[in-house]
Amino acid sequence: MIRESDDVIVRTVARLLMPFITLYALYVVMHGHYSPGGGFQGGVILAAGFILLVVTQGIDRVKRRMSQEKAIIFSSLGLLIYAGIGALCLILGGDYLDYGTLGRPLSVQRAEARSLGILGVEIGVALGVMAVMCAIFFAIFTPDQKNGRREQ
Amino acid sequence: MNTFFLIMGIGMCLLVMLCLFRVIYGPTILNRAAGISAVGTKTLIILLIIGVVHRRVEMFVDISMVYALLNFIGCLVLAKYLERTGEV
Amino acid sequence: MEVTLLIEATESAFKILEDARNHAAGIMDTTVELMAEESRVLRDKKCRAIFTGAQRRKTRFHNFMGTAIILFIFWSLLSGHFDLFHLVLGAVCSLAVSYLFHDLLFVNVRIGNLRTMAWRFLIYIPWLLGQILIANMHVAALVLRPKMPISPRIIRFKTKLETDISKVTLANSITLTPGTITIDIRGDEFYVHALSHMVADDLYGGEMEDRVAHIFMEGDHLYLQDALDAARIYETLGV
Repeated sequence: MIRESDDVIVRTVARLLMPFITLYALYVVMHGHYSPGGGFQGGVILAAGFILLVVTQGIDRVKRRMSQEKAIIFSSLGLLIYAGIGALCLILGGDYLDYGTLGRPLSVQRAEARSLGILGVEIGVALGVMAVMCAIFFAIFTPDQKNGRREQ
Repeated sequence: MNTFFLIMGIGMCLLVMLCLFRVIYGPTILNRAAGISAVGTKTLIILLIIGVVHRRVEMFVDISMVYALLNFIGCLVLAKYLERTGEV
Repeated sequence: MEVTLLIEATESAFKILEDARNHAAGIMDTTVELMAEESRVLRDKKCRAIFTGAQRRKTRFHNFMGTAIILFIFWSLLSGHFDLFHLVLGAVCSLAVSYLFHDLLFVNVRIGNLRTMAWRFLIYIPWLLGQILIANMHVAALVLRPKMPISPRIIRFKTKLETDISKVTLANSITLTPGTITIDIRGDEFYVHALSHMVADDLYGGEMEDRVAHIFMEGDHLYLQDALDAARIYETLGV
């Protein structure tokens, strides 16, 4: 079980940094087609932010924002967004993940529809990666309930 | 100007070597952790210098920010791990 | 004859004046009564607002908006694309992030004196840079001499700073200055590693601490907003 860090510097700096890290992760996700980055990298940075919060504030205070159950829901949601956009393209008469066909329902041109479709898929990937990373971290760092083993 | 940055980058690489010495031969785990942190900081500067040399600074600034962030979090998690296992 | 007439006239005049005064007093009494009623209702409402947490909700909203604005500025600095699509994306992202983390950026900060704090902090930064330059010269001179006359030590001092954020500012300033590193903060005691006599003496002098206390209005510097808050509460309670 990770408790709250008793060092005031680390605690405060992590608290101040956290919103900026999350916003930076979203920036990496959204600007994947202009600069390095994309869904996976953004998701990893998001997860790193949550890990920072867990390490400095203890697992109990982060439970409200992110827990194992929520992580599982979010990972499914990310996969749903990804597969849903792909399947939508399939339904609209194109190939799987052929974003050009999304242009008609969104009433934009094909090129713009491709850009928007990639953005949506990247958001899905970011959500999934973030949730899975958090789930792995929580699974490693929470005490094993089956064996009743408690660390520290 | 380009040569100047190139020389700076090579000098930084040499400094990384010095830190790596401490990482490899460090007597305790704390020396190694501090050495890794210093190597991370220098890598950040080297990334920025590479960006200036290749005239793509705005791209490399993004990468170096992520690098700094992961370095910070990695050091913190390492310290927490050492605290938990009671090796220090 | 004339005198009696005059006296009578004066008396009647006085009587009229007396009547008018009584009348006015009556009106004023009723007015005061009405106003007392009004103010009592108002005071009740204020008390209830203070105790039912309307104040807290207001603070939370301020935190939310402040975080969102700061994050949006950060986004614009990062993005560099100023077309409508990216600006809307930035607004949505910063609102979402500040909804998630609105209680992290500002803790125990009164929004009223945030502007003063930010301004004083901006003035503090050039001074800190100058200090870092001086200390850099000193340390370079120290380690470049062949004899290397360093005398490393760990010093401990009590601080008058109270809140976390001011302590962290002081600790990070100390760490940024070459030659000194903050090791730990325990309660209100700082443990600092110093490289030589001079930097340690600088630290004991406490100018940096004074300046940090001035930024965050702590220590001997009057905590203005505290006094105002207390005054308002006393006023509404009628103490």
